[in-house]
This record gives sequence, C-alpha cells and structure tokens, in this order.
Amino acid sequence: MRHMMKYVKKYGLLFIVSVLLVSIEALGDLLQPTMMSHIVDEGVANKQMDTVLRFGGWMLLITLGGALAASGRNIVSSIVSQRFGAELRQDLFEKIQGLSFESVDRYDRASLVTRLTNDVTQVQNFVNGMMRIFVKAPMLCIGGFVMAFRLNPYLSIVLMIVIPIVGLMIVLNMKVGLPLFLKVQNALDRLNGVMREYLSGVRVVKAFNRFDLEVGKFNGINKQYESRAISAQRVMAVFSPGVTLTMNIGIVAVIWLGGIRVNSGHTQVGHIIAFVNYMTQILFSLTTMTMIFNMFVRAKASTGRIVEVLAEVNTMENHSTPMPMQSMQSMQSMQSMQSMQGKGAIEFDNVSFSYEGPDGEPVLKSISFTCQPGETLAIIGSTGSGKSTLVNLIPRFYDVTEGSVKINGVNIRDLDTHELREKIGIVPQKSILFTGPVIDNLRIGKQDASVDEVVEAAKMASAHSFISELPEQYNTLIGQGGVNFSGGQKQRISIARALIRKPEILILDDCTSALDSATEASIKRAINEYAKDVTCLLIAQRISSVKDANTILVMDDGEIVGMGSHDSLLQTCHVYQEIYRSQIGKEVDNHASA
Amino acid sequence: MPQPNSNPAVNGGGAPSQEVNVPPMAGRPGGPGGPGFGGRGGPKQKPKNFKGTLFRLWGYLSGERKQLGIVFGFILIDSAIMLLGPYLIGVAVNAMVGGDNTVDFKLLHIVLIALAAAYVADASLSFLQGWMMAGISQRIVSRLRRTLFQKLQRLPLVYFDTRRHGELMSRLSNDIDNVSTSVSQTAAQLMSGSIALLGSLIMMLVLSPLLTLASLITVPLVFLLAKTITKRTSALFKNQQAQLGRLNGQIEETITGFQVVKAFNYEEPSIADFRKDNDELCKVSTKAQIWSGFMMPLLSVISNIGFAAVAIVGGVMAVKGMITVGVIASFLSYSRQFVRPMMDLANTYNVLQSGIAGAERVFEVLDENEEVEDRPHAIELTNPKGEVVFENVQFGYRSDVQILKGISFKAEAGSSTALVGPTGAGKTTVINMLSRFYDVTGGRILIDGSDIRDYTRDSLRRSFGIVLQDTYLFSGTVKENLKYGNPNATDEEVRRAARTAGADGFIRRLPQQYDTPLTENGGNLSQGQRQLLAIARAILAEPSILILDEATSSIDTRTELRIQAAMLQMMEGRTSFIIAHRLSTIQNADTILVIDKGTIAEQGSHHELMEKEGIYYGMHRNLTV
Repeated sequence: MRHMMKYVKKYGLLFIVSVLLVSIEALGDLLQPTMMSHIVDEGVANKQMDTVLRFGGWMLLITLGGALAASGRNIVSSIVSQRFGAELRQDLFEKIQGLSFESVDRYDRASLVTRLTNDVTQVQNFVNGMMRIFVKAPMLCIGGFVMAFRLNPYLSIVLMIVIPIVGLMIVLNMKVGLPLFLKVQNALDRLNGVMREYLSGVRVVKAFNRFDLEVGKFNGINKQYESRAISAQRVMAVFSPGVTLTMNIGIVAVIWLGGIRVNSGHTQVGHIIAFVNYMTQILFSLTTMTMIFNMFVRAKASTGRIVEVLAEVNTMENHSTPMPMQSMQSMQSMQSMQSMQGKGAIEFDNVSFSYEGPDGEPVLKSISFTCQPGETLAIIGSTGSGKSTLVNLIPRFYDVTEGSVKINGVNIRDLDTHELREKIGIVPQKSILFTGPVIDNLRIGKQDASVDEVVEAAKMASAHSFISELPEQYNTLIGQGGVNFSGGQKQRISIARALIRKPEILILDDCTSALDSATEASIKRAINEYAKDVTCLLIAQRISSVKDANTILVMDDGEIVGMGSHDSLLQTCHVYQEIYRSQIGKEVDNHASA
Repeated sequence: MPQPNSNPAVNGGGAPSQEVNVPPMAGRPGGPGGPGFGGRGGPKQKPKNFKGTLFRLWGYLSGERKQLGIVFGFILIDSAIMLLGPYLIGVAVNAMVGGDNTVDFKLLHIVLIALAAAYVADASLSFLQGWMMAGISQRIVSRLRRTLFQKLQRLPLVYFDTRRHGELMSRLSNDIDNVSTSVSQTAAQLMSGSIALLGSLIMMLVLSPLLTLASLITVPLVFLLAKTITKRTSALFKNQQAQLGRLNGQIEETITGFQVVKAFNYEEPSIADFRKDNDELCKVSTKAQIWSGFMMPLLSVISNIGFAAVAIVGGVMAVKGMITVGVIASFLSYSRQFVRPMMDLANTYNVLQSGIAGAERVFEVLDENEEVEDRPHAIELTNPKGEVVFENVQFGYRSDVQILKGISFKAEAGSSTALVGPTGAGKTTVINMLSRFYDVTGGRILIDGSDIRDYTRDSLRRSFGIVLQDTYLFSGTVKENLKYGNPNATDEEVRRAARTAGADGFIRRLPQQYDTPLTENGGNLSQGQRQLLAIARAILAEPSILILDEATSSIDTRTELRIQAAMLQMMEGRTSFIIAHRLSTIQNADTILVIDKGTIAEQGSHHELMEKEGIYYGMHRNLTV
C-alpha cells in the first residue's frame, strides 16, 4: 500500500472535505425524521396548521441544506475520484514506460493493458463509492447503536451478540471473495489476450480459414471468465442475505426479550418499538457497509495487480551515478591515445547472454569485437544464431549476463540509458509503426525535426518518392500496425525514422529483407555518404549486403565463428564459405551460364 | 433512507436489502462507451435510440427469460413476505399491551415464530435471487461477448486495417462489462422498485384518494429531473466510453511497440500523448459523474416537497374533519415508501444509461458490414486443378488511388509464377486479390475457369496455402501452431512437414521440442525461425495453390538452400506464386512477372527476360556480385 500513500497525501484534504459534506448530508438525514414527527405529533395531531407550516418549512430547509451538501460532496467526490483514477493510470503508464525489457517480459502484454484500464477503474470506483457513503453508513450505525444503548442497555445485549457475528461474516466474505476476484481479473487478462492475438493475426486466421478454432479458443476462455465471475458474484449472494438475516433474527430476539421485560414491568412497550426502529437503521447501514466491503474486495484485488507493476524494481538501474555522455567524451578524448574523431566506438568484451539469467541457456557465448566510428560491422549467420540478441545489448534493452559492452571505452552500465539511446538509431527487424500520420511516425526518431529534416531522412531511406505519391503525402494516416503499407514501404519508413535523429551508432537489423536490391543499394549509398563517422552495425542475410563492410562477423549458434573482411573470410571461414556458396556462387554460376 | 423515528410497523424490518442499491452511480465510470471514434463518421454526439437498444438487449435475454421469470417470482413473493414483517411486529407489540400489563406470551411466541420464519424465507429468497441473477447477468454478457467475437470473424480485413485494436478490445471488455453491471444491478431493482411503487400506490389510494393526488405532485417533478439529467448523462457516458476506447487503443499500441518506444527514447512524448487522452477521459467522466450524482440529492428534495404537500393538505383536511389523524400518519409513511422506489427507479434509469451506452458500442460493431456474402449459387471449390487467370484486374484500397491498373496473366495449373518488382509496386496486392482478402474493383480473377467470387469463400481459402511476409504465430505450443492449417494432422505428419521446412532441427533443440509453448507472437523465436514454422504450417495444410509472400526473407541463405529442395517438392504439382527478392528463389519459376507501378512491365522465363535485357536484367545485375 506504500504506493498508494502518494495519492492519500495528495487528495487527503479534498477527501476530508467530501467526508465533512457527507456528514452534513447525514445530519440532515438524521434530523428529518424529528421534523417529521413534529409535524405529525404536534401539528397534525393537534390540528395546528401553523405548526405544520413551520416545521414543514424547517424540514424543507434542512432538506435543502442536505441537498446542497450532497451536491457539493458530489462535485468534490467526482473530481477527486476521477482525478485520482487518471493520475493512477498515468503513473502506471509512466512506470511501464520506464521498465526494462526484462521486467516487461515477465508480464503478458494483454495483462498490462487490463491493469491500465479495468483494474484502475475498479480502484477508482471504490474510492468514489467510499466518498459517497463512507461516513454515512458508520455514522448511522454508531448513532443507532448509541441511541439504542441509551434507550435500553438490557436489550442492547442482543446487539452485542449480533454485531460481532455480522462483523465476522463481513471478514469471511472478504477472505473468500478476494481470491475469487483475483481469478476474475486473471481470466479477463486471458480474454483480452485472445482478442489481442486474434486482431494481430487476423490475416493468418483468414488465410487458413480457422475461424472455428479461434471461436473455440475464445469460447473456452469466455466460459471460464463467465463461471469465475458468477462464483465471485455468488459469494455476495450468500453473505448479503446472511447479514440481513442475522440482524432480523436479532429483532425477533429483541421483541421476545422485550416481551419478558414488559411482562415483568421493567420495560415499556414504546421502548421496544423505538429499539426495533434503531435496529432497522443499524441493519440498513450494515448492509451498506457490506456493499462497501464488497467493492473493497474487488478494488483490493485490482490494487494488488496495479501495485505489483508499480513495485517492479527497475532491473536496469544505472550503476552508481551515470556519467553524462559529454563529460565521458571529454574524458575519453583526454585519455584516448587513438585518433578517434567520432564518438561511437563499440566494444564487446567477452560478452555472454541468456534471457533467463546466469543459469539459463546462453544465447550468446563469449562475444568479443570492436567497431570504430566510421566503420561498418556486418553480422551474418544462420537463423537463430543470436544476431538480433547481440545488437539488442547495445541500447541496453537487456543487460549482459557476463562480460561488458563498452562505448568509447566506458561500460554502458555506467552511462545514462536515456543519453545512450539518444545516440543510437535502430531499425528493428520487424517494422513497428504507430497509428497516425507518416510524419508523426518519422518524428518519433527526432521529435522536433523540421519538415526539411523529415524529407531529407525520407530521401535517404528512399521513402520520399513513394510517400510523395500518397494521397496526403506525409500526412497520410498509417493504420494499425502499418497494414496499409507494403513490407518494403514499412521498412523504409522505419529506416528513415532511425536516420532522422542523425545517430552516432546506427543499427540495421536485417531491415532490408523486403527491399529490392536496387532500393537497398541506393539506401546504402545514401547512408555511406551522409554517415561518414557513424558506427554502423548491419545484420543481413545476403553476402552482397555485407561484403563491403569493414569487418564481417560470422555467427553460428551464439558464437563468433569468423571475423574479418570478405576476402579473408572467403579464405578462412568455413561457415562463410558455405553462405557464400549458398547464394552468390550459385547465382554467379547461373548468370555465367545464362 | 430509514427514518429512525418513524413507525416501525410501516418502515419494516426486512426490506433494506433491496433499498440498498448501489450508491448513486457508484456504477462504473470506467465502463462502456459511446459511439466509436474508430467508427466511420466520427463521434456521434446524439445518443441513439435508447428504447431500440434496450429492446435489442432484451433479445439477448432469450433463453434467460424463464430464469428471469423465476427471479421475478421470487421478488414478488419476497416483497409480499416483507409486507408481512411490519404487520407481524405490530401484532407482537399489540400482544404486549393486551391488558393489565400482562403479555400474551402464547400469541407473542406464535407471532415471533412466524416473524422468524418470514425472515428466513426472505433471506433464502434474496439468496436465491442473487444466486440466479449472478448466473443470468454473466451468461447474458458472455453471450454478448461471444456474439461480438463471432462477428469479428466475419468482418472484412479492411475493418481491422482501419481501426486501433485496443479500441476494439475496449468494446469487448469495458463496454460489455458495463452492460453486465447495469443488467445485474438494474434488473432486480426495476422489478422490486415497480412492485413497491405499485403496492404503496394501492395502499395510498385505499387510505385517501385525495391525499394521493397531493402526493402525486412529486411524479412530474421526478420525471422532469430524470429527463434533464439523463439527457446530459447519456451523451456524457457515451463520450466517456468512446474516450476510454481511444485511451485503450493508445495503451495497446504503446505496449505492443514497446521496443520502438524504448529504442527512440520516445517515452516522454508517448507519455504526453497518453496524458492528453487520459486527461480528456478524466474531464468527460468527471462531468458524467457530477451530473449523474445530482440525481439523488435533488430527488430527496423532491421527496420532501411531496411530504410537505401531503402534510399541509392533510393538515387542512384534518382541520376540516375530512380525515383522521391516524390516516395521515399512515399515509405519510406510505408516501415515503412511494417516493423511495421512484427514486430508485430514476437512479436505475441513470445506471441503465451507462449500460446502454456500452451496449450501443457493442451493437455498432455487430452492425458493421460483413465480408461480402457468397453469391447465391456459389459453388464449393474442391481439389482445384489450380489454373489461375487474371483478367484486367484493377484495385485501389481507396477509390482515388489505383494500386493495380489492369493486371492480366495466366498461370497454368501446377506452374510456378514469381512476382518481382520494386517495393510498393503492388505485388502483395495481387496476392490479396487472389486470396480474396480484398475484392477486385475491376476485372476478374478465374480459378479453373470460374470467377473466384462464384466460389464459396471458405472453400476458396481452403485451397490456398499462404506464407505471409509478416509471419504470425499464436500462443500455444509449436505443434498447435503447425497444425493450425490442418488440425487433423498426425504427429508424424507434423514432424515430416517440419523436417521438410528445415524447422525440425531447431524445434528439437527447444526445451520441450514440439510441445514448447510459444510466447505472444512467438517472441522467444528468432524472426527466421518463425518463418520456418510458417512454411511448415503451410506445407502441412496441403493446399492446391501455394502463395509465398517473401516467405524466406528472414531465413539465412544456407538454411534456405537446405529447404529449397523441399520447397520445390512442395511446389511440385501445385500452382504457386512467389514474391521474393532473392534471385535464387525466383529464377526457377516457370513464369516471372515484373510488376511496376501497378502494371505488368515484363513477363517471361528467367532466360527470356535475361535476354531481353530490360528491367529484370537490370535487377539481376544489381544482385549478382
């Protein structure tokens, strides 16, 4: 609950204001019956019209006061609860944005979505409900109890037995209800997950005509959600009448005991009537309170899920105080003996990595290499050999399990992650675009980019020509996931997005696979020309894409099996030779024979 | 709310369980939504047909109507029993004041046993009500969700391509959830409220028709109030739901694109965007809350006005001797009982508004145009030979931008056709036409001599095996994913297909081999491995026509070489279409179509095109070192 304290502090005062207003409202409610009894007992009974009018006036006035308080409370509570909810959601969103990949990977993405939406709403509802009835119910309950006790201590024994039983029931209700509501929320996650998956894979579903399977999957989980929601709701169906029954039996007991007392002359009949009346009032407030508790149970389940994320410790905290890039550079230039005009020298020093931590299956094994500014390092290797994993370590998406990654000789763990990433332009293998205009997507790379800069980057990525032919050029809307663009177009937008920020380190993760070779060649020319002192890491499948690189790294099963220039690798590296033969050799042969 | 000093005989012991409705609008501000922002035509300000939507919702109650009837019966009996409560207490009290201060214990005991029995009956009935209502309401929304999801299966691709997924998800979860809440909250309340209203009205009429008239002054006031408030809230609720959907869309997308956000340090702008929508939601829902929250306090003012009216008119009548004081006292109690259910009903109406807003958003999806129905006499395409003819096919995703400008070619049964050309030339669009993801806007496509629109869509797609540029794997085990296109395949067949696709090797290295669960979208596999799985998936489906859209782009060439033989074998006897950039994949094709700017620029075999020294020749030179 530590994470919730912030909001308590922030909204505590307004919360109290609203609670005070509820108290006035409750007071009005308590006074009304008195006024009413005056009207009936004094006015109507004695046929005094002026008394009727006077107390009637008072009553309306009190009602009006109460209504004003209630309206004020309504405004305050609405504002507080909605602002609180919005803020909680905002904080959660920011928290998630700040998490490392390792932390986020622990959650199902659909579950994060549910937590941000549904769970926040549940908590918000509780806060809202609390401000509306929180004080009122206990006030009426305690008020009723005190009045009853003063009226007849003897009969109050019944209350002293009944109320603890009711309390026990409420506690039990929470105990039973909480795990059930947690289960409901988990089922909701899964429901969202299936839906999400269907939406993302709709092309495959349609291509394979597997609607029956998808519907079946959905129905299964829908059924599960249904049955869980039903059980959770049914717990309430048991306890709520239980509380009412207990109190009602108490009323029966009061009348019975009262009868005995009346018989022995200890108690007057009028007292019994009044006592029963108070009990009704207590019953009413208790039922209200059960309801609050039910909401509380639901909110507690959701709070737990929210706090779980909020409490995620960022596994990628910077070591000690991160060094700003600038000072690092000056330091570097002072101590550096190499003539390094650029800024993005990359060094992998005996790096091993596993997604599951030190004991997991290693994806990278003892990788060491360096790449100087102005150089291009190409990585080639078979499917699943760890190429993408390797480049993902550079922007610190994941931390190495062993060894270190250094930029300009400084361990990236000692750098400010934000600044580190600022220097890197990455084009992921899978082009991820966001809904919105093309220009906004390009500006993700550099938020304050001018139109000229955008166009320049697009030109370099050979994207300008097709964008210009779009109906609304740079303002054309990209649909969900970029569906309205071809694979090659998405890749080019994605490349332009990385280039626009003029990075010091450019990472191209097999991002030209959907481009024809002419386009690829022209992009490469443009990059080479503009990026003279950029450190460039390039993952590719084609020998033709990598052969001009300064260094080529050949990877196989997480290890470096060859490193050097195209020519030297052709001589020495068996795997490289195989790759070469698998494409160029054959094509050249065919061409020659053609 | 309960009046401590009023006559217990009237105020009753047991009813509170029904009076305690949810606090005014504790409902769920988060709930469902308004007209889709994602929908065409933008946000609709005006609430649509309240009654129509309600009526339609009622349609989803079929099957539950019997159960609802039973619940209704329970409520009826329960209300009757609860009328007994105050009466019995009255009798009990009378038993105590018999004569000479002695209590008639015999009578008292009988009455108390009857009272206890009534309370037990009440508790059992409320329990049964709650128990059944939980089932009913959940089943209704479960059915609604199912219907919605099934509808999604029938919507054309263009629907998904133009909408944010999170927004659609919001409809399935938030909006339907809202329907559920309001159904479970309001159904019982509407019934018990109506009964209580009717009961007190009858009692009042019996006591004094004239005073009844005086207390009816509240009725128009309540209606006016309810109308004024709900007019605002219904629009606000809808707006709120739409905004919530929008926010959901944003959340979904940012979480999906987490990597890009991180890579580009885009957290801050993304947070700022979120803040904008989040604040907007906050603003709208605060308004909705405030307006709906005014209902209760104002109703209590009205209620007291009614009370004062009765007191004054009653007083006058009593002064004139037209009525006894006792009658006024009872009447006042009943008039309280009359107003409360009216308040409940008005409040219920308020809650209902938000449920209706949710239902409308759901129905909006249900009303979307589905994929064009199969033509009336559509035939099943079974075991096609696979001859494919494009006749002057034209298409544009938007009416003003033509992507394909008259494509004509013929692919013989069993032949292979490669599509090459610069990116964005329309290669994938050709495939989209053939598989009927989209329908042509001009010309026609023939398979085995008949227009593909004359086949049933199901049978048409069943004859295709498609490996897409964007491989998509589902969560589930490797095996389940491979069997996606052919659920009846045996384990042996699965392994054979995987071997053919060159996927067997790495699958065996996975922790649980073929039973290894894949995380969302196959995140624990490399892009290339996923493509191998997608190929194996297509192989297993044994289609007549094979479509490979950049199927091997992320596979390294060595592996590709290894699976090439298998690919050729798979293409053997099947009409196949290949989009690729690698020449090795293309040059063995029987026909190569060079597509440029939506038309076929060149056409012929590898050798023919090389001799021609045209576009293809140029591309080829570019690739060879």
